[in-house]
Amino acid sequence: MAKEILQIKDLRVLFPIRSGFWNRITDYVRAVDGVNFSINEGETYGLIGESGSGKSTTGKAIVGVQKATSGQIIYDGLDVTKAHNRKKISYNKDVQMIFQDSMSSLNPRKRIEDIIAEPIRNFEDLTTDEERKRVQELLDIVGMPSDSIYKFPHEFSGGQRQRIGVARAVATNPKLIVADEPTSALDLSVQAQVLNFMKHIQQQYNISYLFISHDLGVVKHMSENIAIMHRGRLVEVGTRDEIYNHPMHIYTKRLLSAIPKVDVEHREENKRHREEVEAEFQHDQKRWYDEDGRVFPLQQLSPTHWVALPKQEVQAQMKEEK
Amino acid sequence: MSNKKKSTQTKQDQTQVSLPPSGFKVAVREIWRDKIALTAFIVICLILLLTFGGSLFLKKSQVTEINIAEAYYGWGQAGHIFGTDDGGRDIFKLLIMGGRNSILIGLSVTAIDETLGLLIGLIAGYFGGTVDAVIMRIVDFVQILPQFPIIIVLTTVIPNYNAFVLVGLMSMFYWTTTARLFRSFVLSQRGRDYVLASKTSGSSDWKIMFREVLPNITSMLIIDVVLTVAGNIGIETSLSFLGYGLPITTPSLGTLISFANDPANVVARPWLWVPATVLLLLISMNINYVGRALQRAGDARQREN
Amino acid sequence: MWKTVLRRFLIMIPQLIILSMLVFLLAKMMPGDPFTGMINPNSDAREIARLRQAYGLNDPWWVQYCRWVGNMFHGDLGQSYIQHVPVASLIWDRAVNTFWLSLLTVLLTYSIAIPMGISAGRHQDEWQDQAIQIFNYITFAVPGFVFYILGIWLFSFTLGWFPISGSVSANASGFWGVLGSRLYHMILPAILYALITTTTIVQYLRTGIVDNKVEDYVRTARSKGVPENVVFHKHILRNSVLPIVAFLGNTITGLLSGSMIIESVFSYPGMGKLFLDSISQRDYTTLTALILLFGMLTLLGNLISDILLSIVDPRIRVK
Repeated sequence: MAKEILQIKDLRVLFPIRSGFWNRITDYVRAVDGVNFSINEGETYGLIGESGSGKSTTGKAIVGVQKATSGQIIYDGLDVTKAHNRKKISYNKDVQMIFQDSMSSLNPRKRIEDIIAEPIRNFEDLTTDEERKRVQELLDIVGMPSDSIYKFPHEFSGGQRQRIGVARAVATNPKLIVADEPTSALDLSVQAQVLNFMKHIQQQYNISYLFISHDLGVVKHMSENIAIMHRGRLVEVGTRDEIYNHPMHIYTKRLLSAIPKVDVEHREENKRHREEVEAEFQHDQKRWYDEDGRVFPLQQLSPTHWVALPKQEVQAQMKEEK
Repeated sequence: MSNKKKSTQTKQDQTQVSLPPSGFKVAVREIWRDKIALTAFIVICLILLLTFGGSLFLKKSQVTEINIAEAYYGWGQAGHIFGTDDGGRDIFKLLIMGGRNSILIGLSVTAIDETLGLLIGLIAGYFGGTVDAVIMRIVDFVQILPQFPIIIVLTTVIPNYNAFVLVGLMSMFYWTTTARLFRSFVLSQRGRDYVLASKTSGSSDWKIMFREVLPNITSMLIIDVVLTVAGNIGIETSLSFLGYGLPITTPSLGTLISFANDPANVVARPWLWVPATVLLLLISMNINYVGRALQRAGDARQREN
Repeated sequence: MWKTVLRRFLIMIPQLIILSMLVFLLAKMMPGDPFTGMINPNSDAREIARLRQAYGLNDPWWVQYCRWVGNMFHGDLGQSYIQHVPVASLIWDRAVNTFWLSLLTVLLTYSIAIPMGISAGRHQDEWQDQAIQIFNYITFAVPGFVFYILGIWLFSFTLGWFPISGSVSANASGFWGVLGSRLYHMILPAILYALITTTTIVQYLRTGIVDNKVEDYVRTARSKGVPENVVFHKHILRNSVLPIVAFLGNTITGLLSGSMIIESVFSYPGMGKLFLDSISQRDYTTLTALILLFGMLTLLGNLISDILLSIVDPRIRVK
């Protein structure tokens, strides 16, 4: 089994809701509510969920731009939810991020050279010439022309900008990159291009990805291990095969049934299946979620497969499967 | 490899023209395109040349020296282009020095206020939370103070009152609008992905504030500086007009215009107050025109994005 | 709704306390004390010292402060140094004049600004808009006092249409006579003052209308076939004019700080003029009271603005 590079233990991120006359904290939005998983060296770990499920918040907590309310993120034996630990090991040299919106993630007032060089300047000590050479190399890796360094972000297309974002993320030779929906803002034709660059870089430098997405199709293309997130908690964790071929949780099934299929002959059949799953999800909320509508704790099914269901429900499911 | 470098070199020359989407160079280009704004800008330059250049040849003690025998010469009499005042002082010379003083005070107060306001606005907006809450309570409080009356009282109470004290007093109050303006902008920027990207790139908060966020403010800053200079010149001249701005021994446009407070001067001795009024109008209207032109250009650019 | 208002009131309390402390501090910086106004040349030094002791001027500052605030609550603002009358009655006479001038100015401001803003917004980039923009630029760019000076020079001195000073002529008699004379004295300063104040409101209203014009709800209304006139009056105008109402508080605040200059140019006997007279005569008790009053009125203006805004815009209210 591959070596674990990052472990997330019972991570919680809560946002207070203030209300009432004195503007006191009356409740919390549980953006991330007790999440556990770990990422192996060199793998792409898929984190899937609808918008608002807390997947982006999890990603931000991992790179350290979102404060965790409780729980631990273990990297190199240290809990990196604490800022001083992150500083001690130059954590962000090893863990970087690719953002969803390439326009807003690149400072409009900076030239590409300065954008890509920023992490290099902060973490490495290179001369101006070495640094420029490095930036050129990085641009070369993501297939951008070398004169890009003198330009500003607004002079590029969305796909090009996202490739610049990738170049910045790999600038310091990181071991893990959190990719927060890196392609969801791009045209389909450009998506594949960016994803292929990411895969290529992964093979070349043995980088791990935490690939955050709502698009099961894209994740299937990228990830070996997958976690499904809903309402701030994980509902199902497994290998690609387990998630796509043997889904246990209704939410996973629902997501899968929602993938559009180019299959004219079985169109009616697919539609019926989709409606069945939807009906099951709507009718039997109690079976899948506890009385507060929260996701159950995870139960282990196999060494790699976990699902958030009560024990008796798991058994019932297993029987059904057989 | 060497081949590649060469091609980079030539390409560099072609692409040097890339301009950032906002900032100082863009502002200059904006003014150049708008012919009226360009005219206004040239007029401002001429006024600066006249007042600051002219003042080099004048001595304050000579200009403000009282010589009753020369009092109340009219237009062009006895070699005084704009005549003389009740103390026999040459209005044209007073106008040049007064213009310079009023502009200088406007500029100084603006420099202090914009620096303070920018710094405080950046800090409040970037850090948010408690820091922001505390700073904004102070800003709120300063803004509800009756600023104008307080300045007037302080000018009479503070011992050894001079121009520097006036600059200090004015700066004490008027940084708040600038702080508020930049704070709300920074607040909208701090959650942006480029700021987060800088954080994950290992940049410190101060570096992010000044190297990442600040460049995105430059256009706003330029517009605000231009309009604030005009505003501060207005405030200084208003104070001097009421008699509580620059000390009487230091000429100001406001003091000259206050000759119009005496009904006897309004119609009978227009040379006392008309030149200063016209000069102040020229200064205010031209600076404001340039500021507005920049603002319009900035708004249009924002809409395009 | 009442929660917002109540909370806004609570915020005002510490502001009021700090304001009064600042004014007290300012008063302490000024030379002289409340007795300077009562002392006549024949009272001897021992008598003054006794009076000082009796009135607690040797007490610690916070005791003095509390007493000062207490007196304030009883309407005792002290004695004028110069006029030898209670400050309260001195201010009252002038406040009435300022009140009428301000009222007329506010009425004129809104009745000029609203049609102008609407016209500019509705006919965006047409000649009406351009004319209003030029006018707006002038009233914004020209410093107030220059505007007033030019106004009084043209309309009062050169054309002789209006009086050059005062609030009412001495020989006016009868209710209508006095009222007419008052209006006659106020009309020019009020118009000039109102023109200067319109700038923000016109600009705000115009921007509001221009922005609302392209909002989706307006497009929806249009695409449903609602006549253009109805779209403008029912949708655009409603949403653009309401925020203007909230400017009322700010306008009042602005009028106060500007009253000094307008009253000085027109020698109009209001609070601003009283302030300037007091300062040139070094009448510090009157000054202190006036600054406190200005401060409190500014606070009140802000309060009115915030409350109006929360009525107009439900998003601001506390849930």
